[in-house]
Amino acid sequence: MRGFGEVAERLRRSTVQIHSRAARGSGSGVIWSNDGLVVTNAHVARGAGLEVELWDGRRLPARTIARDPRRDLASLRVPAPSLDAAAPGNSSTLRPGELVIAVGSPLGFAGAVSTGVIHSIGPIRGMGSLAWIRAQVRLAPGNSGGPLANAEGRVIGINTAIVNGLGIAVPSNDAADFVRRGPLPSLGVTLRPVSAGVLILDVDPGGTAALASLQAGDLLLLSLDELYSALDSGQPALRLRFMRGVTSSVRLPVRETVVRLGERALEAA
Amino acid sequence: MANELAAFSKELAAVVAQAAGSVVAVHARPRFSSSGAFWRPGILVTAEHTVRREEEITVTLPDGTSAAATLAGSDPGTDIAVLKLDAPGAPVVAAADDLAPGNLALALGRSEDSGINATLGLVSAVSGPWRTWRGGRLDRYIRLDLTFYPGSSGGLVLNAAGQALGIATSALSRIAGLAIPASTINRVVDEVLARGRVARGYLGVGLQPVELPDHQKGLIVLSLEPEGPAALAGALIGDVLVALGGTAVSDTDDIQTVLEKHGVGRAIEVQVVRGGASRSLSITIGERPRRS
Repeated sequence: MRGFGEVAERLRRSTVQIHSRAARGSGSGVIWSNDGLVVTNAHVARGAGLEVELWDGRRLPARTIARDPRRDLASLRVPAPSLDAAAPGNSSTLRPGELVIAVGSPLGFAGAVSTGVIHSIGPIRGMGSLAWIRAQVRLAPGNSGGPLANAEGRVIGINTAIVNGLGIAVPSNDAADFVRRGPLPSLGVTLRPVSAGVLILDVDPGGTAALASLQAGDLLLLSLDELYSALDSGQPALRLRFMRGVTSSVRLPVRETVVRLGERALEAA
Repeated sequence: MANELAAFSKELAAVVAQAAGSVVAVHARPRFSSSGAFWRPGILVTAEHTVRREEEITVTLPDGTSAAATLAGSDPGTDIAVLKLDAPGAPVVAAADDLAPGNLALALGRSEDSGINATLGLVSAVSGPWRTWRGGRLDRYIRLDLTFYPGSSGGLVLNAAGQALGIATSALSRIAGLAIPASTINRVVDEVLARGRVARGYLGVGLQPVELPDHQKGLIVLSLEPEGPAALAGALIGDVLVALGGTAVSDTDDIQTVLEKHGVGRAIEVQVVRGGASRSLSITIGERPRRS
């Protein structure tokens, strides 16, 4: 019987370790195409001076192509012409109970394997309407960005987080969409949900929120779920109601702004 | 790339898909929901420890809709709660009794957000009747080597053939999750539907195992519930219980086992040693007061 060992061996050749000069520790990544495209988590590909370590120990400098902090995805390019790309799976046909295998470098052990089954697939409360894969696999820091594959060794998710002991992965179809079309629309802000809405803690200069004159300290008058649903609705622009200078119980005028989200590329390079 | 592993994976997913129609999410406590299973048409079972309110209980059905359920009754001793609701739902066939350690076990649960969920593990130990720390008796002890996540309790535990072993609970053992066996659930559901609860026998005594000078074992009465069944029958503090209903007793488990055989309200012959002399009392078995 072809077991997990064989599947794992093939998958290991398509799994990389990602080292960041800025951050301590390392994450994992998946070789997405033979010509050097690597997909990982946005929280792994942070900072400059990223290096990709292949299964055979070669270390290559990596350049960040795109990042999507909300989906926690990043794509990198390494200068290597003929790599072993992972076999892509179809995450839309996944069913709870299917066997899965995760490969990565948890706590720095390269090529470590853990197995389990798909627990459930669906949105996570407070994180919008996007679906996530929950898997009964034991992950550890360092698995982030690595592949979650099915019994055939086809990649069906990118391992991203651990919640209540469950492995959380981005569905591979969403990762493929990110590679083709770039990041999902975002405001380019750091947010904190509060009782009245969402508070903007920080604004990326040049981000869509900054272009719509939103500032740190502004209070957006909608819930995080509503905001994410609106961002994911595919509309090119978003009308947001907000208050500025919220400090006490003084009633402030409600302002309005229009955020242009721009078109997502249909087929980005 | 078809291989046996992939075929096995498909089988597991098919078992889950087939039983998914019997598994619901139960909203009967703050914050976390739990899981429940259709046990009979219109009758759901879940883990009693996850039911923290008696009213405003709702369930998320397999089709994603929400429905109100009423608590028919519960048995904390075996950690089973029985709910009634007006919704069709096919129960899963119960497994035969040929369970052994090493058999695969699938635990199915449901949450409102992400629908059906599955966990795979093993049956790690099986033995005969087992008394829980909550005082109830499970017909079998089925220990699971299986990860329990928040909301898993009350979910359906299946064998690899998709037959029900019971429902999952994390509250009856500190070592591992257990499956409350199907036969125990049947017994409790019958009693709860007939009487609204599982009545447990009660003597109203506090007991401590002791050894008598002739090396016979017994249980000394350390406390007596005033107006309790034993007190009314003339039992005194210091009496040593040596036999109950004709069965020798040497620890409190023996007492529970004898009381289960005799019903609440029936008189039972009790042999005690008082001041070195043996005497006989007739105690009418009371019902253990429910914890409030």
